[in-house]
Amino acid sequence: MMVNNQRRVSAIFAALSDPTRRGILVRLSSDGEGPVTALAKPFRISLPAISRHLRVLENAELIGRRREGRSQVIRARSDGLRPAQDWMAQCAAGWDLSFDRLDALLTEEQRKGRKDEVRNRNRR
Amino acid sequence: MKSEIEIEDNLLRLTRVFNAPRTLVFAWWTTAEKLQQWFGPKGATKCEIEMDFRVGGSFKQKMQIAGVGEFSSSAVYEEIVEPERIVYQANFGATSMRVTVEFFEEGNQTRLVLTHEGAIDRTFIKNVEQGTTSTLDRLDELVSSETLRH
Repeated sequence: MMVNNQRRVSAIFAALSDPTRRGILVRLSSDGEGPVTALAKPFRISLPAISRHLRVLENAELIGRRREGRSQVIRARSDGLRPAQDWMAQCAAGWDLSFDRLDALLTEEQRKGRKDEVRNRNRR
Repeated sequence: MKSEIEIEDNLLRLTRVFNAPRTLVFAWWTTAEKLQQWFGPKGATKCEIEMDFRVGGSFKQKMQIAGVGEFSSSAVYEEIVEPERIVYQANFGATSMRVTVEFFEEGNQTRLVLTHEGAIDRTFIKNVEQGTTSTLDRLDELVSSETLRH
C-alpha cells in the first residue's frame, strides 16, 4: 500500500537491492566521506562498475558528491532513507485502517448471521 | 493503531485479532467483491480490484487517492491454503515484496499475522544511521502523527 512518493521509494528500494551498493553506503556511513578510488578498493570491481553503482545511489538521492581538485568525493546523505522508512510506516498504517474496516464488516456479518438464526428457529 | 507492529531484519509484520471464526475472516480475502469493501489506504476512492484467486493467479488494484492521484499495484498468488494461509508476491512500481497472510484459530477469535518480506533491512538502516533514531521509534512517531492520517 504505497501511497506518496512512489517513484522515489521505488528508486531507494531498487538501489538497496544490490549488496555492493549496500556495502558502499555502510562504508560511507562509518567513514563519513571518501574519494571514488578509495571507495572502490574493497569491492574488487572496476572503477566504471563502481561509477555505475554510484550513479544508481545518486539517482535515489542516497549519496551526494563534490569535486576536490581532480578527484570526486562521495558522501552519504543522512536523510536519504527517510522516504523508505516513511513508506514502511504508511504501509503499516494503511493495513491497520483496512483491518478496522474488515473488523466492522465481520461484526456486521455475524450480527446478521445471529438474527437469521433466531428467525429460522422461530419459524420452525 | 490497533494492530501490533514489528519490524525485524528484512520484514514488516502486523498482528491483529478479529472477533470472528477463521473461515469468516479468510473469506473476506477471496473475492474482489469482498476485498474491495475494506482493502486500501485512507482517502482511496474508485477502488477497482481484479483478481484470480488461485495459485499462479494475478491480482490488480487501481484507485484514486485524495491528494496523490491514481495508484495501482499488482500481485501474483504463490500459495493458498484455505483457511490458513495466503502468500503473494506484490509489485509497486520497481519495488517487489512477498506478503504472507496467516490465519490462526484462537477459540472464537482469529489471529491474523501479515508479513511483508523484502521491504527494507533494519540492521542495514542501523548501520547507515549509526545510532540515530531507530526505525521503530520513527515508526511510532509517524504512526501517531496526524499527517499520516490525512
